[in-house]
Amino acid sequence: MNYTFQFGEVMAELPYLLGGALVTLQIVFFTFFLGAVLGLMGALGKVYGPTPLRKAISAYVIFITNTPALVQIFVLYYALPDAGILLSSMAAVLIGLTLNSTAYLTEIIRAGVVSVRQAEMDAAIGLNMTRLQILRYVMLPHIAKTIFAPLSNFFIWLMLGSSIAALFGVEELTGRAINVSSVNLRTIETFSVVAVIYIGLTLIASMSLALLGRVAFRVKARVF
Amino acid sequence: MTHLDVRDLACSYGSEKILKGVTLSAEKGEVVSLIGPSGSGKSTLLRALVGLTLPSAGEVRVAGKAVDYSSRKSVRELRSQLAIVFQQYNLFQNMTVMRNVTIAPITIKKRPKAEVEALAAELLARVGMEAKHDAYPEELSGGQQQRVAIARALALQPEILLLDEVTSALDPERVNEVLDTIRRLTDEGITMLLVSHEMSFVREVSTRVVMMDDGKVVETGTPSQIFDSPTHERTRDFVGMILKH
Repeated sequence: MNYTFQFGEVMAELPYLLGGALVTLQIVFFTFFLGAVLGLMGALGKVYGPTPLRKAISAYVIFITNTPALVQIFVLYYALPDAGILLSSMAAVLIGLTLNSTAYLTEIIRAGVVSVRQAEMDAAIGLNMTRLQILRYVMLPHIAKTIFAPLSNFFIWLMLGSSIAALFGVEELTGRAINVSSVNLRTIETFSVVAVIYIGLTLIASMSLALLGRVAFRVKARVF
Repeated sequence: MTHLDVRDLACSYGSEKILKGVTLSAEKGEVVSLIGPSGSGKSTLLRALVGLTLPSAGEVRVAGKAVDYSSRKSVRELRSQLAIVFQQYNLFQNMTVMRNVTIAPITIKKRPKAEVEALAAELLARVGMEAKHDAYPEELSGGQQQRVAIARALALQPEILLLDEVTSALDPERVNEVLDTIRRLTDEGITMLLVSHEMSFVREVSTRVVMMDDGKVVETGTPSQIFDSPTHERTRDFVGMILKH
């Protein structure tokens, strides 16, 4: 094979690619945090809600976690216009990934909710806390600490998984990589650089999450 | 006026009747002890009083005012007057000792943080835990955790204190440190309702002893009536059995 690596043309596009990384981060933060809020409500509903609500949440989780995210976004982007709902590609991706992370996070957070010690709940009730105060001071710190590892894993999974946005023309990191490589035709170099950027993003995310866990929840997580 | 008045209180877990009509009362500043075999409903009675287990029948009056357990407002008002200490301490694992003691007065009673922390420091000193403000519960022994739990209950400045077998999860050497703490409280005029198997302690601190069996009150009397001349056979058996050891 007589292939000469030429990174020059890719490096010239580095600011453009890093801009794409920023878009990736925006997608992930939006879908993760909205998914976490909705997932917390889903988890609480699944544990404490009335039976019809519990069944409805279970059905939602089963449906979403057993169909590919790609297919879900396809439906949002290409099928909904037939029903008169026209979404931009970015909106379709954000909605699709939020629906997805809501389902996964419901299950992850549920594991944390059921692990809250009844003894602490009794004490909180005995101390006359309101439901919201119990959630805020007793349940959430415990849940966050218990599910910190799967939550961090999911965050990374979501960051890498968000690359499917490129298929709908969203110019996040992978989307911009496709743009760059289709112009310079340096596919190997372009995607090597993009892979390194992804690794950089996930490392930064892992370390920030580990630091957050250590400071806020006394979780002794290690990145390496 | 009778401080705590319980009439015909009944309580069930599913179809199983745990309390079958319990009647007892405590005057202000009294220390009423509940004794009786395991499963007789002593702990359930304390849990029912704070509304952790809902009573199915009967009446509870605190300082003459009837409690409506179906009304959240009424139950919240009730809980603002009493505090409960559990057998298994039930401290918040994710909070320091200081935070465990101060969280309720700060977040629920909305009192100034500095004032509450000063009170908490005083209470922790009183239970001999002044050196452990920043420790987490997992770093403490059972006896230490229980003393923090007592300080946490006292920080609510309750009028009635419920103590549910507070020494039975502790090893024998730690029992006395907790009993000493409670002994000191009896001089302060807080009405106390305590469940205990420490008979000599019960005899020493109680103004009244209530013998329970099978969800009912068998006999009520002064410590000397119950321990020296019980009138019911069940009480005689139980007291005789325990004092033999």
